[in-house]
Amino acid sequence: MKKRNFSLAAGLILLSVIFILFIMSYVYLPYRIDQMDIRNRFSMHSAEHLLGTDHFGRDIFSRILVSTRSALTVSVSSVLLGSIGGLILGSLAALSPLAIELVIMRLVDALMAFPGILSALMLSAVLGKGVMNASIAIAFFMVPVFARLSYSMILENRKRLFIKAARSYGASTPRLVLFHMLPDMLTRLITQFSASVGTAILTESSLSFLGLGIQPPGASLGLMLSEAKGYVLIEPYQALWPGIVLAIAVLGFQLTGDGINTLLHREASHE
Amino acid sequence: MKKAFIFLTLLFALSSVFAGGSSEKTASAPVKNVSNIITMAIPVDPDGLDPHVTASASTFQITSNIYESLITVDEQGNLIPALAESWSVSDDGLEITFRLRDNALFSDGRKCTSAEVKASFERLRGEESVRQNDYAFITSIDTPDERTVVFGMDSLNVATLSSFAYPWAAVVDVTQDNLRAKPVGTGPYVLKSWTAQQSLVLDRNPNYPYEVRNNGVKFVIMPDLTAEITALNAGEVDLILITGDLASAVEGRGYNIIEVAGNGLQLMAINCAREPLSDLRVRQAINLAVNKDEVIDAVWWGYGRKIGSHFPVVLKEYVDLSDTYGYDPERAKALLKEAGYENGLTLRLDLPKNYQEYVNAGLVIAASLENVGIHVDVNIVEWAYWLSEIYVGRNYDLTVVGHTGRLDPYALLVKYVSTGSDNYFNYSNARVDELLGIYQSELDEAKRVEYVQEIQRILAQEVPALYIQDPIQIFVAQKDVFGFASYPINIYQMKDVYRAR
Amino acid sequence: MGRYVTKRLLSALAVLFFVTLITFLVLSVIPGDQAVLSLGLDATSESIEALRSSMGLDRPFYVRYLEWLFSAITFDFGTSAVYGESVTSLIASRIPVTFSLTLFSIAVATVISALLGLFAALSRGKGADGIIRTAVMITSSLPSFWISLLALIFFCGHLGWFPVNGYISPAEGFAGFLRSITLPSFILAVGELALMTRMFRSSLVRSLSEDYMMACEVKGLSRARALFHYAGRSAIIAPITLIGNQAAKLFGGTVIVETVFSLPGIGRLLLVAVEQRDTALLQGVVLFITFMVVLMNLLTDIAVAAADPMIRLGEEGGR
Repeated sequence: MKKRNFSLAAGLILLSVIFILFIMSYVYLPYRIDQMDIRNRFSMHSAEHLLGTDHFGRDIFSRILVSTRSALTVSVSSVLLGSIGGLILGSLAALSPLAIELVIMRLVDALMAFPGILSALMLSAVLGKGVMNASIAIAFFMVPVFARLSYSMILENRKRLFIKAARSYGASTPRLVLFHMLPDMLTRLITQFSASVGTAILTESSLSFLGLGIQPPGASLGLMLSEAKGYVLIEPYQALWPGIVLAIAVLGFQLTGDGINTLLHREASHE
Repeated sequence: MKKAFIFLTLLFALSSVFAGGSSEKTASAPVKNVSNIITMAIPVDPDGLDPHVTASASTFQITSNIYESLITVDEQGNLIPALAESWSVSDDGLEITFRLRDNALFSDGRKCTSAEVKASFERLRGEESVRQNDYAFITSIDTPDERTVVFGMDSLNVATLSSFAYPWAAVVDVTQDNLRAKPVGTGPYVLKSWTAQQSLVLDRNPNYPYEVRNNGVKFVIMPDLTAEITALNAGEVDLILITGDLASAVEGRGYNIIEVAGNGLQLMAINCAREPLSDLRVRQAINLAVNKDEVIDAVWWGYGRKIGSHFPVVLKEYVDLSDTYGYDPERAKALLKEAGYENGLTLRLDLPKNYQEYVNAGLVIAASLENVGIHVDVNIVEWAYWLSEIYVGRNYDLTVVGHTGRLDPYALLVKYVSTGSDNYFNYSNARVDELLGIYQSELDEAKRVEYVQEIQRILAQEVPALYIQDPIQIFVAQKDVFGFASYPINIYQMKDVYRAR
Repeated sequence: MGRYVTKRLLSALAVLFFVTLITFLVLSVIPGDQAVLSLGLDATSESIEALRSSMGLDRPFYVRYLEWLFSAITFDFGTSAVYGESVTSLIASRIPVTFSLTLFSIAVATVISALLGLFAALSRGKGADGIIRTAVMITSSLPSFWISLLALIFFCGHLGWFPVNGYISPAEGFAGFLRSITLPSFILAVGELALMTRMFRSSLVRSLSEDYMMACEVKGLSRARALFHYAGRSAIIAPITLIGNQAAKLFGGTVIVETVFSLPGIGRLLLVAVEQRDTALLQGVVLFITFMVVLMNLLTDIAVAAADPMIRLGEEGGR
């Protein structure tokens, strides 16, 4: 095993970049994000516009700053929603009597089978636009993942020897879950959580491509990229910075998840 | 990680280098496809191929090649023969007689006589047609002989003749039960195959008597414009329609670029029945706050002609009113203050998602309105939602949309009749109602022009909308492909397109 | 096993029923229908009412749903309102596209990520391990539409290796067919690499550290033999589950590459059905996708059971 935890360090460094941008968006915003300057569109890096301007002459740097807000809120809240929902469903299914288990797991199947785009389309038609809607739509993608993960973890765990041993001296079901299974599960959940936040940011950008994510005139990395994709033939650099920041955010969460995984495993093996 | 960024940057750099390089490749490459089949990229499938049951423009662009109307238009909008070789209007204007061309045949070989024409028009007026109201003015259809059809009306309507030229008035073979998928008409082409969301192939119709300058047409459905241009560069398609912002991607590469002022209108409708907007001063302030030239430049990169009223530039009755309210944000603020909104007001702006250009125009307008203290809540909605809630439901403050042109001014302006069922502006002006009332039965051409111009002036003054522009369409063809023209109604005449040898 | 499969299939039917009911319900609640769309900007409230009644859209929701349900039971899924073609044949024409995309990309992703995962697991803690893990993470950190567009412009536009204008059916020529789906499949595969490589690696690492591996070493079995016969076998369970899940996910998730590469697949059919409020078509597509996903999940579970005798399928019902 590695002596230094490279993944965690790299992940945290990348994430701190995102957090610095996030904090900066509240402290110092060079331009209003919807402030247009048509004559100055597609300008390159300059003192006035650090990262240049977009197709409406809006300041790309300011838009990226504000984008980190929606990236963090949408991704964290959607994964929170999704993981809580999934955990509840998954552990309920694993721990309840057969009939309930079957119903719940079929419900999870239905959620998983239901095309994600369709639920996003329908949600946007029913709920309307906005950050909340995007979060809920993405949470729908997350629920089955976490449900199946926690379900299978509990089933796996109950086969393990130490659980059988615990049961043999009369430990109750909640006690089993809390004290014996949860610590083990936590490792995998945290890993999944951190990686899912990255995925959520990516999912938001895909939804933006289909016009279902954050709506203009708001700013999100996905929206900026999908606006830039229209100009990829004439102004390919448009997508450079939003793309880089998006990659930093996604990578940051994934590496951090990876790093936490290594860390917890190491601690576990020291016990 | 650094490596990836370098790679990415390289890829960008390469793509711009190659973008310059490949034009020569296209220019010098010998024409591979000598079969003289024209390939055109279109963004969406038609909404079925039955012209009587849809109002979607993408449908008529294709059906106008399969079916014929009795008459059609040339590029200037003059009526010219199609299925009918001649026609005459009775002196009282209540009867129109069409003479069909000799031995007209449907593509399946069936004869198209006056009886078939009558049946087709009865279908157009029937309950499954979406046009039943538009053709309710026809009171009788007589067929004295095989080649003569006489349409009777009970009141004088000067616009009648042009309603026979629209692509939805096409003559169809009513004995077919699934025209949506298996169209049968008398036009230059027959449907060979249609694979939804992939391609639609038209073959020559052997029974079409006039010249067709190619051996067939293949429409390929490509939803992404960047992919369309890439396909054009790769020589896979011959003809595409692009938006102004991407014009620079095709310029200087030897393509045939056809820029034509379309017959259309793009505007931001204002709901005149809603509280702050019913105040004329607020509507004027909105008009003064927006720099239309800037909107046209920002969204269409200057490809458009600024307008000031609900009337397209290409029609002869047009009056230039585009500067009725010039860009003057200070006056806008003053008017808002006068109307009692000096502390600002909030309006909702609904934009139809599938029309990127209207969304963009809405964003630019919203940014301008913010500058004079009107806060705009942008709300982007699906097309089906837009149609039922905004357009028919009239539940909106502001919305950006486009109208395709008509041949007759009345059909354009009837939206402003105060009791009209498609007056989604909720506009009401007694003089406009009166002028539109007498226009229909006025036989003196000069007077009709006068009426139409007066209406234009009233609308330009009272601004039930922010009139933006008459769009310029940009068609791009391979350098050896010629003959594509644009018409004042939304049709494509593919029969005139050819590949030079 | 047979009883288990029957039970799963029966519950799948329940899933399908609920999914179609929900779809139908939502579609009739959200504004806009086929009548409004057909009329477009020529719509007036009277003309809409007239058209609605001639299309039968004015009848109550449950009547239309039951009507659809009863014909669906007889495998008659109706006619698409937009295309005038039977829903069954529209979907059937999409199956080869989406199937081959899904299978190809999963195959590519599995092979590459299994190799990378194996290599990383063997060189655990060394430089190669870190490089592989970081590299696959970077490739999976960019949105697929963006990679697709760059690839389209570069490989199709400038290099001309692949056609821009989408899909060539196997009937038109198998070589052309392969050429037309290679690039999109690879792009889909790239998106799966990080997750799958990580899974392969970690489950190999876990197996390698299990007690019986030590036992193998004690018994003097070669490392390679131990790896393939024992560790490989137990390491394969998590990946099978993952591959199954990812394949199921991909099946409904190919819409972006389908849009960029103009491929006529299920995803775009779904989009158009919703946008055009084509109820019959939407019901058919949703039913089909749901069915495929349920089926793939079932197959995954069976495969897991086959690979690991410790997990008995009967257990879900027998505990």
